[in-house]
Amino acid sequence: MGVAITRQWTGYAAAVRLGWAVSSNWTRPILFIVYSVLRPVSMALILAVMYTVITGNAAATRPYLAFLIVGTAFWSFIQEGVSEFATGILEDRGRYHILKYSYMAPLGFPIFLIGRATSKLASAAASVVIVLLVGTLALHLDISPLRVDYPLLVAACLLAFVSVIAFAITLSMVLLAGRDLHGYGEIMAQFLYLFSGAIFPISVLPGPIAWLASLSPLPYWLELCRRAIMHGQAYLMFPNLSDGEVFLRLVAATAGTLLLGYVLYRMADRRARRLGYIDMEANW
Amino acid sequence: MARTHHPSSDTSRLAVETRRLTRVYKTRRELTTALQDVDLEVGEGELFGVLGPNGAGKTTLIKILVTLLLPTSGQAFVDGLDVVTDYKRLRSRIGMVSGGEQAGYGILKVREQLWMFSQFYGMDSTAARKRIDELLERLGLSDAANKQITGLSSGMRQKMNLVRGLMTDPRVLFLDEPTVALDVSAARDVRSEVRRWMREDPTRTVILTTHYMQEADELCDRVAIVNRGRIVAEGTPRALKQSVDDDVIVDLQLDPGTPVLDRLRAIEGVGAASVREEDGVDRFSLMLADDGVLPRVMTTVEGAGRHVSGLVRRQPTLEDAFVKLVGRSMTEEEA
Amino acid sequence: MSTAQHVQHSPLRIFLKTIAARAYPRVMAANRQKTWVFFDMAFPMVGALAMVLVYQGLHAPRQYLGFVVMGGAMLAFWQNVLWSMAAQFSWDRGNGTLELYVISPTTFEGVLLGMALGSMFTVTLRAGAILLLGSLLFGITYTAAGTLPAIGVFLLTLAALYCLGMLLASLFLFYGREAWHLSNAMQEPINFLSGLYFPVNALGAYVGGAASLVPMTLGLDAMRQLLLPGTPVFIPAGTEALLVAVQIPVFAVLAGISLRYMEIRARRDGKLVTRWE
Ligand SMILES: Nc1ncnc2c1ncn2[C@@H]1O[C@H](COP(=O)(O)OP(=O)(O)OP(=O)(O)O)[C@@H](O)[C@H]1O
Ligand SMILES: [Mg+2]
Repeated sequence: MGVAITRQWTGYAAAVRLGWAVSSNWTRPILFIVYSVLRPVSMALILAVMYTVITGNAAATRPYLAFLIVGTAFWSFIQEGVSEFATGILEDRGRYHILKYSYMAPLGFPIFLIGRATSKLASAAASVVIVLLVGTLALHLDISPLRVDYPLLVAACLLAFVSVIAFAITLSMVLLAGRDLHGYGEIMAQFLYLFSGAIFPISVLPGPIAWLASLSPLPYWLELCRRAIMHGQAYLMFPNLSDGEVFLRLVAATAGTLLLGYVLYRMADRRARRLGYIDMEANW
Repeated sequence: MARTHHPSSDTSRLAVETRRLTRVYKTRRELTTALQDVDLEVGEGELFGVLGPNGAGKTTLIKILVTLLLPTSGQAFVDGLDVVTDYKRLRSRIGMVSGGEQAGYGILKVREQLWMFSQFYGMDSTAARKRIDELLERLGLSDAANKQITGLSSGMRQKMNLVRGLMTDPRVLFLDEPTVALDVSAARDVRSEVRRWMREDPTRTVILTTHYMQEADELCDRVAIVNRGRIVAEGTPRALKQSVDDDVIVDLQLDPGTPVLDRLRAIEGVGAASVREEDGVDRFSLMLADDGVLPRVMTTVEGAGRHVSGLVRRQPTLEDAFVKLVGRSMTEEEA
Repeated sequence: MSTAQHVQHSPLRIFLKTIAARAYPRVMAANRQKTWVFFDMAFPMVGALAMVLVYQGLHAPRQYLGFVVMGGAMLAFWQNVLWSMAAQFSWDRGNGTLELYVISPTTFEGVLLGMALGSMFTVTLRAGAILLLGSLLFGITYTAAGTLPAIGVFLLTLAALYCLGMLLASLFLFYGREAWHLSNAMQEPINFLSGLYFPVNALGAYVGGAASLVPMTLGLDAMRQLLLPGTPVFIPAGTEALLVAVQIPVFAVLAGISLRYMEIRARRDGKLVTRWE
């Protein structure tokens, strides 16, 4: 038992390193600028301009700007963890033809995937900080690293990462069970955008979709991030819930995500093997 | 530099000519000389083989000749055209097929993919389709003609790639290991189709690289042996074999035991030695200056405590010529 | 010995045939993978929807939703230029197809135009769906009189975009994987600069002017001026259309030069040869 766990841990650590090595890009300045600075900051600026043309940057509406910027900052975790991750897996298959080896590797495919996803999340952390920095310096949001409620932030993020990884793995397995599907990782990240409350409150969504979104862990996670960082100076999606209540919902939604993810993963894995899609090549 | 060929009068017209052709690859860490001062002349209508171990520079040579790579120095002409300056005109006259290549679009069917490539050469669609069907038929691929590429076995895929090379009727066709990973019968189909295609028009030329001695021996009119970017020998397979005619070739079979290759090589009168393991026994191929060397070999073997389970003297093969020239067998790693 | 004369087809013939042939697998892909077409449409649709919801969260006037819907439709084409045209050479190189293009007598221009035309149907479908659904869903009204001129501007913009795409593709000849990152860098930042989701005049003269290097910026702004009443004027629509028209030959010529140059460089440095990077 102990040996098995040690072996899995070693495998996991190896996959984290592999993921880091494959996207070793992150140590190269130009790529860091593209992925960790340009892309997320541009998104934040798009939102800032949209906010400004409508509100004229009136003082009373500033909490809404904070809502947008913190939401889009933490969105990087999903962008990296889901979209870039799934793209990476599909590239392993389609471009490098190496996925089959990871799939057959003794350490177990799920462990491999979890390791890869972890390295993606780690590399996303930089963009989060950068966007918050832009928010503070360029958009004059009142963010101070000294006043962040770190226990709340860390607890919320850890739970969210569990969900994100579960989702990413399930998604990539589902994608692997399909044929030519590059680009879908991005699409799914966009779908999550809708349900996450990252750039608009989920109450804006039409009734049934808003209800679906309220089952997802993402809105609770982002709400807690906003509370931990902005303490009251950001627009809140759940003003009637206490921090503890929001956190409880996050826990419940995470558990649900895990369960659903597990079931889907099994189904997709079976299909992928049945149809021999693990080592398929795709291009047109 | 101007060099003029006289196509109509000159019967020994050259299909390929290189002069001191050299190619150096620059990577972040190092410089690799893949080809060094290669001088080559291949006549029109020849089936010319380029034989060499991994990394010898065979593919590099082909890629320069098909205009994918520029030489670092030296010159190369294909069908009389300079590959550096006249590459645009050259491209309609050449073709290239590499073994194991994955080119194309998996979504297409075999026939469609071949048609697509034919269009890049400006072929008439109807004529192209007819030609494609004819070639597919010859290679026994008719049944797969309407299969999607993703569903092909690698052997079928390789045959399809060959059709792509043949269908445009290039003046010079370059085949880079066309039978790699093919089973015996598929490889035979490929070879005989190449031969037949050349007979269709005796001015067609084929340059082929290979790892397989037997392929080079049976198929090629002439062969160049390349090692570490240099041509170490050139001639008809027969002439190359003759270069080892004076030697005594012995196949020696030993049960497993301590390694003896280096000791055998050290014996005076042993021109070359190579070994491969097969079914748990070591098969040595030795090239001896004369019969008198054999007793010394036996003493050495027994001295190492190895047991001889077989010994035959045989006719030289191209492989032996290769081993003598290169110093090791094709399959053996460089020391 | 007979001296067979090799048939040399005219460059124009090869060019036209190449366009048709390279378009073919794209058309077939759409045909043989219908689910893909659906998802392919979903992506920009969802993106545009998210941006509409941002405005709704801000209680923006309805005309802003129109900006997003038109921007989302335009984005479909821009994405196509970036990923299905420019970046395609990176895939083609990975599996050796690029080598075959190079050694054939065809030209990159033909191959690239074929790609573009081949996916035109699906992209147009995608853009059309965003425009139609978005307009119906959010009740956007357009200036009917602006339709024809807007279509004209659209076609100019498209031509300029695809010429820019060729220019970008030339980078993929040489840089391959690295150019991929450039394409990525041209997503959100260009979405921001070109005013995909807001009127470009919000960026001011300098940023907006610099952003005008991407034909989408001016083209989109001109179309908005023509179709959506109340669009803040950055530069008058007619001038914008003229500027876009000028971009077409400029990008086309630059693309041609760059493709030739990059090919030579790539041959020199051994970059056309298939290697898994
Ligand atoms: N694009 C490249 N960049 C750097 N070095 C290269 C490149 N292509 C080949 N080489 C190096 O040049 C040398 C010759 O390679 P080449 O592919 O021509 O050999 P080969 O005879 O075809 O080998 P094989 O039998 O394995 O196909 C090798 O050392 C190889 O590592
Ligand atoms: Mg080779």
